[in-house]
Formats: sequence, structure tokens, C-alpha cells
Amino acid sequence: MATNTGSFQGLAFMTTIRLPAKPESLEKLIEAISGFAETAGYPRGKIGEIELVMEEVLVNISNYAYPECSGEVEIRFHLKNETTLILEILDHGIPFDPFSLSEPSISADLSDRKVGGLGVFFIRKVADSIRYRRDGEFNVLTLTFSK
Amino acid sequence: MEFKTQQIEDVTLIHVKGRIDHRTAKDFENALKPHLDECIAGDFKKILMDMGEVDFMTSAGLRVLMIAAKTCKTCDKEKGEIAVAALQPLIKEIFKISRFDLILKVFTTVQSGLENMSSTSAGAKK
Repeated sequence: MATNTGSFQGLAFMTTIRLPAKPESLEKLIEAISGFAETAGYPRGKIGEIELVMEEVLVNISNYAYPECSGEVEIRFHLKNETTLILEILDHGIPFDPFSLSEPSISADLSDRKVGGLGVFFIRKVADSIRYRRDGEFNVLTLTFSK
Repeated sequence: MEFKTQQIEDVTLIHVKGRIDHRTAKDFENALKPHLDECIAGDFKKILMDMGEVDFMTSAGLRVLMIAAKTCKTCDKEKGEIAVAALQPLIKEIFKISRFDLILKVFTTVQSGLENMSSTSAGAKK
């Protein structure tokens, strides 16, 4: 369910979406954020990057924050200075700091490369900035994407 | 997702169409499986994937490609080959970030892939 407290001119106002933290929610989430980015004038290529990161974030929360139970994820987003999309993703699952993971060894030979571990790596590399904090019961991940 | 397979000389060319994400990665894996099974069985396999109509891929898709590459390499270190061609900009970018060019051969076009992988197949493609 999305609530927008602003109009088109008010992309700077916060939009909030709350969904079950499971991969099935991805379509709705991506539709909402891509639509927002498109309205804000983001080029198609950049919207693809945002979609990529959002999928990796949601799959991650579903797998690691709520490994044995279901939970919700809340996404808040707005446009800052007409040029920067700011996304805040909150869940109340197990504390999970994506910065705590070591980067996969991407320069290793095929035989030494591990399968997996690229999801968090993409989040860190593709978003313009990323910040994690634990706020009480919540994991809060803040991502930014410039046009 | 859609998959269409052509055998061009000794190269199996798989045309892939659609988004490869968390929801569709299993379909992608299932489409590659019969070819990889032949590889495991000891057959000589050269697999080229035409990615020209794949405009979105996440780590779930790369995971499938990594497993496929590892399977190919295990079956024949010298001659088993798996490659991709005609990457769209976003896929090209994630290949670059994750250095997947070290995992798979990447060709700019399907034609150049065919030319490289089989000396006789390029002329056979319509």
C-alpha cells in the first residue's frame, strides 16, 4: 500500500510502501519505484540499475533478515534537489549489516570463484551511496541514486 | 522467458529472451540443463548464448551462468566452451563489475561468437 503526501511537483515528498518481505513482492515494489524514477526523469539505463539494486535488497532481506519467519519491509523514497533519489529500506528482522560481508574475490579463476555473494556486492557497487544503521528493532538501509 | 535453440555446426546457439531475475532464474537454469547434461555425459559441447533480448539480469542469473561455466570446465578442460554474445548495456555493466569476462567468453555479436567458436559455423547462420 503506497501513500504519497505530495503531488507530481512534490516528488520531494516522501512516498512510503509497506510489503511482505518476500520475492513475490518485487513486482509491486519495482513498479512503484521505477514509475517514480521515470516521472522524475531518470534515464532508462539508470532505472534498470535501481531495479537491480532493489531486487538484490529485497531478496537479501527475505533470506537473511527473516530466514525462518515472514516479515514486512518498508520502503520510503523521495527526490532530493530534483536530482537524487533517496531510498530508505526498513525491516525488523535479524540485524544484518551488508558492510559486514567481505567482497567476493572477483579476480579469481573460474575454479576458485565462489557461486553466490554477488547480490550484496552489486548493491554496494551500483548505488551511488549506501549507509546502514540499526535503529532499535530495525535494520535501516539508505541508498541514493543520482540521475 | 523464452528460449530457442539452434545447432550451427558444432556450436549450440541458445537465443534467450526476457528478464533473468530471482523469479525466472530457475527457468534459465532448466533451459541450460539438457545441454550441460550432455557435457557431463562427456559429449563435446560448445554453447553460445545470444543475450540480445535480455535487458535485465540480477545476481540470480549470474549464479546460473557461473554454475554452467563450472560444469563446462569440469567436463572438458580443453574443449568445453560456454560463451555469451550481444550483451545489453545493463548486463554489460554487471559483467564488468563482477568480472564475469574471466568466467565466460563475451562476444560483441552472435556472428563474432560463432566465428570464434567454430571456424565453419559463421557462414551457416542465416
